[in-house]
Amino acid sequence: MKGKRNGAGRLLMALVFLFLYAPIFLLIIFSFNAGNSSAVWQGFSLDWYVKLFQDRLVMESVYTTLLVSILATAISTVAGVFAAIGLFGLKRRWRSPLMSVSNIPTVNADIVTGVSLCLLFAAVFQGWGAFARWFNSIQSAVALPTRLTLGFTTLLLAHIAFDIPYVILNVSPRLRQMDKNLIDAAQDLGCTWFQAFWRVILPEIKPGVVSGALIAFTMSVDDFVISYFTAGSATSTLSMTIYGMTKKRVSPEINAVSTLLFGVVLVLLILSNVLELRQEKLAQRKSALQNPAEYRPVRSHSAAPKVTKAPWFRRAVAVVSVFALVGSVWALASVAGSQPVVNVCSWGEYIDTDLITQFEEETGIRVNYQTAESNEVLYSLLKSGGGDYDVIVPSDYMISQLIEEDMLAPLDYSKIPNFSLIDDQFKNLPYDPDNRYTVPYAWGTLGIIYNTTMVDGPIDSWSAMFDPANAGQVLLINNSRDALGIALMYLGYSVNTTDGGELQEAYQLLADAAAQGVYQGKVMDEVYQTMEGGNAAIATYYAGDYLTMLENNEDLAFVVPKEGSNWFVDAMCMLKNARHPEEAHAWINFMASTDSCLANLDYIWYGTANREAIEAYPAYYEELYGEELDQETFDIIQTPPEVLERCEMYLVLPKETRDLYKKLWISLGV
Amino acid sequence: MRNKSSRFAIPYVIWMALLVVAPIVLMVVYAFTSESGSFTLDSFASMGDYLSVFTRSFELALIATLICLLIGYPVAYAMAKEGPRFQRLSMALIMLPMWINFLLRTYAWMSILENNGLLNQFFRAIGLLRLLGVDHLSLIRTQGAVVLGMVYNYLPFMILPIYSVLVKLDGSLMEAARDLGANSLAVFRKVVFPLSLPGVLSGVTMVFVPSVSTFAISRLLGGGTQMMLGDLIEQQFLGGSYDPHLGAAISMVMMVIVVVCMALMTHFGEGEEQAVVL
Repeated sequence: MKGKRNGAGRLLMALVFLFLYAPIFLLIIFSFNAGNSSAVWQGFSLDWYVKLFQDRLVMESVYTTLLVSILATAISTVAGVFAAIGLFGLKRRWRSPLMSVSNIPTVNADIVTGVSLCLLFAAVFQGWGAFARWFNSIQSAVALPTRLTLGFTTLLLAHIAFDIPYVILNVSPRLRQMDKNLIDAAQDLGCTWFQAFWRVILPEIKPGVVSGALIAFTMSVDDFVISYFTAGSATSTLSMTIYGMTKKRVSPEINAVSTLLFGVVLVLLILSNVLELRQEKLAQRKSALQNPAEYRPVRSHSAAPKVTKAPWFRRAVAVVSVFALVGSVWALASVAGSQPVVNVCSWGEYIDTDLITQFEEETGIRVNYQTAESNEVLYSLLKSGGGDYDVIVPSDYMISQLIEEDMLAPLDYSKIPNFSLIDDQFKNLPYDPDNRYTVPYAWGTLGIIYNTTMVDGPIDSWSAMFDPANAGQVLLINNSRDALGIALMYLGYSVNTTDGGELQEAYQLLADAAAQGVYQGKVMDEVYQTMEGGNAAIATYYAGDYLTMLENNEDLAFVVPKEGSNWFVDAMCMLKNARHPEEAHAWINFMASTDSCLANLDYIWYGTANREAIEAYPAYYEELYGEELDQETFDIIQTPPEVLERCEMYLVLPKETRDLYKKLWISLGV
Repeated sequence: MRNKSSRFAIPYVIWMALLVVAPIVLMVVYAFTSESGSFTLDSFASMGDYLSVFTRSFELALIATLICLLIGYPVAYAMAKEGPRFQRLSMALIMLPMWINFLLRTYAWMSILENNGLLNQFFRAIGLLRLLGVDHLSLIRTQGAVVLGMVYNYLPFMILPIYSVLVKLDGSLMEAARDLGANSLAVFRKVVFPLSLPGVLSGVTMVFVPSVSTFAISRLLGGGTQMMLGDLIEQQFLGGSYDPHLGAAISMVMMVIVVVCMALMTHFGEGEEQAVVL
């Protein structure tokens, strides 16, 4: 289509490009920021680029993304070409319905594809587990693994499954355009089928193959939803890592890695454009020489399709094969360097990461450290087969529930000598009455964090969480137990009530407040950024995290409301199907030591159950910072008895009440 | 060739049975069973509670699709009129953002739209906020922010298919129409637009489907206050309220509605295959 070009069209395009690129430029600019904010410029630095290459989590997810995209593209391109040829060879009666089935992944919403694959893998693993147990029981020569989990293999299968249709869709039209007699002719002249394929079919469909492969690769690299449901916990693509980070704070390292990727793609694009142009001119000159009468500048894309597409193919093949080579070398290296590991799942901002390095250096055990958002999310991860963990750090009530459902393994306390350092007050608590499963990690209270510059006078009651006067300024905590809990406390009921009427009342209180626009949002780890940036005035969160926020915004204050609150213990437990029990015990013991507890306490600001550590902390603080630890701060870390008196611990609720919680919680979001 | 090459279809048919059909069958099975494995319609019975999520999702996705169409069509049209070098450049420019992770691009919008974000800072600096007598404009965690996120992320999926149809249009058709006395509006209405309909349809599909099922965009820009179908489904599988049976039922209902919509649309225009062929 040709026509008049007009200024309005160009202006519109310019505006659209501005819209598309403004956030990207912002990302690039802030990758050079000296501070870690993504909104406040604090000077130029290349620190994030340096840090990027030292950050194992980010680098590994980049590798995983590239590796899975390259492998999936390579496999689905080959498979897709043959599938397209196969489908093309069928009679129309068969071809049409099969093509429709083949197109399902491209038409279906990603989330449906992801969820259904997740269900499939879980079912297959279950079936395999039963088979392996039976097989192992009838013979002893070969021991089959009884437990399979989501991981790289399932991720790759999922990517191939959604990539193949795109290849087929791009190859099929080329096949249809092809002169069918060509193949017959080739075979009549003595070619085998495969020779005919190489010499006749492939050159004809090449442009389709290239664009199919490119689309497949782009889809794989950019995919988040399907990976999220099929990769499990131990494998993380860049998208998944970023999604995890968007919940608390996206490290500018991610900006840096994106800037680098963007740069590489940009250079490739420019190069290919320049080369193509040169080739085009060459072709023009040639045709002009051969046929001067027909000389005309190439205007539209269709004028010289073969000339423009061919170099693309060679280049794409070269790029893909280089990546594949690098990828496979890395894969080999990672297999060769198999060392003992422990998979840990904890909460966000809940460990001094130096401790991980220290543990790895001391023991040679590699730590895969992941975080979940809340107890409920952790439970979902465990149930859906997504979480392949050894050690988890759930809270009290969730521990009871996991014990009840027989999901935890009793610990061997002889391998955890540091358990003796735990204060008696934290042993044999209701969630684990005989103390067979747990070693306390940290404890604290739930309270209100507020910005003193944004509210009138100090807050001392949960009523602030429901007051329409604070409309749009309040952040509700995003998990059912805590959110309904604060409403129950405000109403003067027990947080452990099983009375449906009381719960309904608590729900109504929250629902009314929500309807009046009190809540700006429901957040978990997002709370850090929102409160630190002064983007909300009031939030419910945990005591220790308040001190972390205070470091970045000194206008914040914390209170345990007068109506009382929840106090909780998060404890380390080992899952029943843990694959690395020895390493798990080593990790638990390491984290329970006085040194670890001290370092961790100073980082996360939560109370510790380690007697020696809490006694030594004031002196430790003074030595480290050269100033005395003030009592107010210490009281937030170690809630004093008079405050603790009005706090209640969550107990596990019966199944019917849990189901009611779930139902009420969803209704609140709707 | 026909007979011999058709054997290559067999492995693919097996693959599809295992990784395309089986998962969906399993999802349907989950939707109709309870935790104990017995047949039940409970999951569907409770669907009424989520009506508002369904309507919100379809409404926001529809708005986003319309905006994408209103912006995307003129852009594709303008692009198709340009010379080949300019066309290639703009194609590249539209594809390029896709190489930056969409979550990150969405996250960048968060820092722009926050109450103390760049846009509000800018408004404050030029005195607009003082003029309006407010401390900030609530931009983030609103429906508008979610729609903006959708438009931003999926606009290229509208532009590209429309462009690829427009660029292949035979110019002589339009010349003929003009020779026969049509003015440019009539040419567009009677010739160009009807012929570009396959591109429009695939563009609409490619924007609408991911929009209606998103959960990351509504989570980041809607702040958990604008629950969409995607959020609801995610919550049942990997989120705060584990119930794969309900999740499967919601997924199934959503899939059926989307498929029916798409079937209706493709009924009016053919060319689904244009969708992803660039």
